[in-house]
Amino acid sequence: MNGLLRAAAVARKDLLVEWRGRQTTTATGMVALLMILLLGFVIGSEPGRAAAVLWVALGFAAVVGIPRITQSEVEQQALETLLLYPGSREHLYWGKSVALLIMLAALLVALLLLLGLLFSVDVWSHWGALLGVGMLGIVGLSAIGTLLAALVLHVRGRELLMPLLLLPLALPVVLGCVRLTEAVLADTPAGLWPVVLVAFDLVYLLVCPILFEVVMEEV
Amino acid sequence: MVSGLSRRFGAVWAVQDVTFMLPSRSVLLVVGPNGSGKTTLLRLLATALRPTSGGAAVFGLDLIRDADAIRGLAAFVGASPGVYDLLTAAENLRFAAAMYGRPHESVMPWLERTGLAEVAPHPVRTFSQGMRRRLALARAWLTTSRLLLLDEPYGGMDRDGNQIVDVMVAEARRRDGSVVLATHEWERGVKIADTVLALAAGRPADILPVDRFTASGLAPVTGGRR
Amino acid sequence: MRTQTALGAAAVLLLAAAAYVGLFASPPDAFQGEYVRIMYAHVPNAWVAYLAFAITFASSALYLWKRRSGYDHVAHSATELGVLFTGLALATGSMWGRPVWGTWWTWDARLVTTAILFLIYSGALLVRGLSDDPQRGARLAAVIGIIGFLDIPVIHYSVTWFRTLHQPASIGPGSLKIAPPMLLALLLSLLAFTVLFAYLLRLRTSLARLEAGAELS
Repeated sequence: MNGLLRAAAVARKDLLVEWRGRQTTTATGMVALLMILLLGFVIGSEPGRAAAVLWVALGFAAVVGIPRITQSEVEQQALETLLLYPGSREHLYWGKSVALLIMLAALLVALLLLLGLLFSVDVWSHWGALLGVGMLGIVGLSAIGTLLAALVLHVRGRELLMPLLLLPLALPVVLGCVRLTEAVLADTPAGLWPVVLVAFDLVYLLVCPILFEVVMEEV
Repeated sequence: MVSGLSRRFGAVWAVQDVTFMLPSRSVLLVVGPNGSGKTTLLRLLATALRPTSGGAAVFGLDLIRDADAIRGLAAFVGASPGVYDLLTAAENLRFAAAMYGRPHESVMPWLERTGLAEVAPHPVRTFSQGMRRRLALARAWLTTSRLLLLDEPYGGMDRDGNQIVDVMVAEARRRDGSVVLATHEWERGVKIADTVLALAAGRPADILPVDRFTASGLAPVTGGRR
Repeated sequence: MRTQTALGAAAVLLLAAAAYVGLFASPPDAFQGEYVRIMYAHVPNAWVAYLAFAITFASSALYLWKRRSGYDHVAHSATELGVLFTGLALATGSMWGRPVWGTWWTWDARLVTTAILFLIYSGALLVRGLSDDPQRGARLAAVIGIIGFLDIPVIHYSVTWFRTLHQPASIGPGSLKIAPPMLLALLLSLLAFTVLFAYLLRLRTSLARLEAGAELS
């Protein structure tokens, strides 16, 4: 129970700081918006392209936003203090990944609305399914993103490493969500994609908290 | 009980072969010029760093194996306050309390003791440096730790702030705790310390009871300059 | 030292044999002609790369569990060799595709997966090299080694399925029926490259051990 309390405290703190500063949501929102506009203009805004544009934009927004989970602690010089609280660092992982999840979910909703407008796709009648697919993807992104955010903290060249590591590792999420989103919008069968996404999410939700502890160990 | 504690970064030994015993209800003052390893020593004891060699027993717990248990007993206040600018003073403390497993306690007593009761609902970004350091002290205070590790607590503090540090140290002592205080303002430190450990380039240059420590005792450490 | 020399000798012999069989003794393909011979380099390259990553996974996990630097040296060496052979696999795959299918790149699922792995494991090497502390770098590289390997099947299937629903699967470099004499050449080549890999791995690991010793003194 203590762990749940600590994780909840971390999530609350992260979300509260974000709400008051809005640094991460602004950065990710801007990147996503720009990508959607650019891609929509350059490769066309037919409804068929909407799913791909959505997930490419989300992927790049994630690359920009995810490092901030840990970077914000470093900026406040609060990282060492955070690591010195007694208790498992896995709780920190859960708190931060939940906070990230919520932030990405908010972004997802905004982007879905935008997509409906710009790409003339009918998001309203498929709202539930689109959110469901979106959540599957976002859970995967936050699971692996939180670990990577901690990992690149102590490495030079952070800005290069985050896209280099996140995008290849999270490729199945992007691919799966594109096809699933397309399937939802076109009312075609989903095939085996839900399996891919659920498998990815489960594996990484299992493995990443443990590896997070390893990454956050003192040197 | 610290024995042969050493830590290097790359090829440089920041702390080498530090050995001492710290009984409860006592205050150890660590002095030395900048770069002598005071901060590294404190961080080692706080389990923020792992020793390269040597070890320590803190209340019978091994520094490396029982690091997490030690974290529950020790409180470290470093040179930078590490508080969240966008949260209020009260929220900062409530977060710390929650991380110690006590989310529902009131944090006002600690704010009162550090003179921050009036600014409790204000965001920390409006605080001066001195106020932030007081908040960091309040955060350490609320843990009611048995080992208090203070790194340059007098830096950037006004007279009231310095007094708060002294009260905090005295109270820790009353609670059967121990305190390790590192500062280069040794004149202040000797007033509340029992023992003095002088560090020079990471090595212990001298360790003696405070009544035998004088300005000249500091000479080998500072190379004859004050 | 003896095992090392023996391995090296075996590698050289096997490679020579494989080269002979692959380049001269085996028959050309009915469709691809002589170009099929690139397969005898490409497939073993890819096989060795995947083997290297499997070894990276195992030794990374062992390193994080037991914290013995020996495991880290193996993981480091295996990652380096893995990246090397992945690069070779991509190059030979490209060389193979050009004359046979007219393109430098075929977007075949296996090639794309190999390219993605190339990026992930290069990332692992970068993380190790750019860390401010070598021990931490080793730990972080081990973490990448683990999550990268777990991702391999998921990446493979998602890449494969991504295109099959929309295009008929283009005949990739791997989808050939193999006649017995060619199969022999391929197996021989696989063996040769595996022994070469073992030799290089041992060599690189002992080099890593020496380097680590030198840094401390």
